[in-house]
Amino acid sequence: MAQLRNVAIVGFAQLPVVARDEHRTATEMLYPAVRQALEQCGVGRDDIDYQIAGSTDYMDGRPFGFVAALESMGSWPPREDLHLEMDGIFCAYYAWLRMQAGYCDTALVVAHGKVSEGEPRRVSNLQMDPYYHAPLGIDATASSALQASMFMARTGVSDRDLARVAARNRKHGASNPDNQLRSAVSAEELQNTPFVVEPLRAGYLPPVGETATCLILAAEGKAERLCDRPVWIHGVEHRSELQTLGARDLSRSAGAKLASEKALAMAGLDRADQVDFAELAATNPAEEMVLCEALGLDPFGTRPVLNPSGGPLCADPIMSTGLIRLGEAFRQLSGRAGERAVSGAERALVHGQQGHCLQTNIVWICGTKRRWS
Amino acid sequence: MRRPVAVVGVGQTHHASRRSDVSIAGLVREAVDRALLDAGLEHKDIDAVIIGKAPDMLEGVAQPEQYLVGAVGAHLKPMLRVHTAGSVGASTAITAATHVASGLYNRVLTVAFEKQSEGNTMWALSPNLPFTPPLVAGAGGYFAPYCREYIARSKAPLHIGPLTMVYARENGARNEYAHLREPVTIEQVMDTPMLWDPIRFGETCPASDGAVAMILASEELARKGPRKPAWIKAGYTFAEAMWVPNRDQVSPKAGQMCARKVYEAAGITEPWKEIDTAELYVPFSWFQAMWLENLGFCPEGEGWKAIDRGDTRFGGKLPIDPSGGVLCTNPIGASGMLRLAEAALQVMGRAGAHQVEGAKTALGHAYGGGAQYFAMWIVSSEL
Repeated sequence: MAQLRNVAIVGFAQLPVVARDEHRTATEMLYPAVRQALEQCGVGRDDIDYQIAGSTDYMDGRPFGFVAALESMGSWPPREDLHLEMDGIFCAYYAWLRMQAGYCDTALVVAHGKVSEGEPRRVSNLQMDPYYHAPLGIDATASSALQASMFMARTGVSDRDLARVAARNRKHGASNPDNQLRSAVSAEELQNTPFVVEPLRAGYLPPVGETATCLILAAEGKAERLCDRPVWIHGVEHRSELQTLGARDLSRSAGAKLASEKALAMAGLDRADQVDFAELAATNPAEEMVLCEALGLDPFGTRPVLNPSGGPLCADPIMSTGLIRLGEAFRQLSGRAGERAVSGAERALVHGQQGHCLQTNIVWICGTKRRWS
Repeated sequence: MRRPVAVVGVGQTHHASRRSDVSIAGLVREAVDRALLDAGLEHKDIDAVIIGKAPDMLEGVAQPEQYLVGAVGAHLKPMLRVHTAGSVGASTAITAATHVASGLYNRVLTVAFEKQSEGNTMWALSPNLPFTPPLVAGAGGYFAPYCREYIARSKAPLHIGPLTMVYARENGARNEYAHLREPVTIEQVMDTPMLWDPIRFGETCPASDGAVAMILASEELARKGPRKPAWIKAGYTFAEAMWVPNRDQVSPKAGQMCARKVYEAAGITEPWKEIDTAELYVPFSWFQAMWLENLGFCPEGEGWKAIDRGDTRFGGKLPIDPSGGVLCTNPIGASGMLRLAEAALQVMGRAGAHQVEGAKTALGHAYGGGAQYFAMWIVSSEL
């Protein structure tokens, strides 16, 4: 791997995830997140070279939902800008890539979505092939249930195993003040919740919630001035797969496997379990286990710690769920994780995704030290 | 690292009101196949795919890039989806160029599309905001007051809009891929109904189904290709906030800044002299005069004079939109990429019947939102 530019996460802010923010629009929610992230770095908006936003019109319930976000990002005078119809974690990737190309040294990355104003399950149905799949009425919960069934049939993983993975996430999530669900619940209790779509139970699925998020990236030379403990990017890669549910083995994630192999190689690592913790954007315990298998992580192991934040099961604000994973790695590795700090953590694996059944995956490796000297 | 990037393949569909012969995936695939064929490449040669389109409501598929992974050959490859309103086709291509410039990707496929016949554009572009009755006026209703303001400021005579359309249709008639290919007279344009004063029916873009794709490559690979590449000298994207006191939507600051930045990076000091042809995003006739000023081709208040003199006509001093432009073909999400692709074809010398003789340097331009988003690139026949 050729030498790349050292780029670091230097700031991250999110609003606590809530079921419904009664008093603010999506872009009003974004404003305090941007302010807080800039304040963390001790800079004003004019000190940032580039801005990029992640959101989706269908979740905003209107075309060009992201245009209003320009106000909250401080887009006057005009800024170098881009918007991706993707989770903010993919926006962070493109900001990182622009820094690799030498076009900018600092970047503001935001994500927003007022999930409570829409019908997320219906929108997830509208993501499918409009001619053959969408008319069947399949939404993300239904496709996830197909994936879970296939995974359980292939591996012999039981309902009890799913409950244990869900309980571990709920336990970790209890000490994260930004989570929507902040109570530890036992595996027994979760296993007694009703099926939503068999084999996925109500206790295995995230609540509908919303937030706004802002992450600041800076290249070496600037990063040290914006943050006392920058968190350096060691490797990153993303991969998409075919959507058609019958065209790929849903019980495996070939895309996550390939993306993680490439990201680990860029980071100079051989295996995912060489990190201290991992933040995974899997939205149910079966999906988390499919992902663990692809990445080479043990869902029942103690180290690396999995989802110290509680993961998406405790808060899943669509379009920000991935970016929060990256923000959580920053909070952990820069000593800002409070009660939920993973002791001695120096390196993290971060995962983000979008689409049905882990269709598109991104994997990052971050650390407290610079990757390239 | 920042290294040279070139366009090595271009493919576009035939554009029409209703391409009912293909699905959305089929339409996109048509452009992708043509771009690969043009570059003499196969899917296995492509490192990443960057997709762009305008609002998902236009077709009714949420984040359709996920559904299109197979059609664009992105299985197990990196894929990103861009959306910057009307400018999206152009910003998508610039996003792809960054991938190659970074040194991490050697060949990137970029594709943009719109299949307007799958939905209802006027509905999709008229958001129903809380407590606000929908305007249901679409883009024409939004932009007409700024055209009127331009006329008031510049004292442009009222035939300039129709004349711009006459030139555009002359050009579209030479472009085998254009949607509208019949020449019109100034009287014919003026006889069409006034939709949003001063914009007549005959001065608006059509609603098209269509797609365009390009393959961008590193210098080393571009030199190995079967054709002469178009070198990307500079490409940038800018945006400005909506609610700013005194924000000028006739000549937006983001457009001026973006133009300045691309000229500076491409080493251009006098655009009127140094640029041989430009593909500008002109969805309504009057915008051509407005952009000539906004982009620094003409002094303020004088853009219309260049059109009136015939300088912007095919064969004139600075032919604008030799392909016929958005006024002849408008698959919204693809319209911006068509501008950049047509600019590339011109400097490659492969624009066919609408080739501007001796074109060496060309500008591709697009805008979107409430005249807020701008994306432009300069391409050249020489590195």
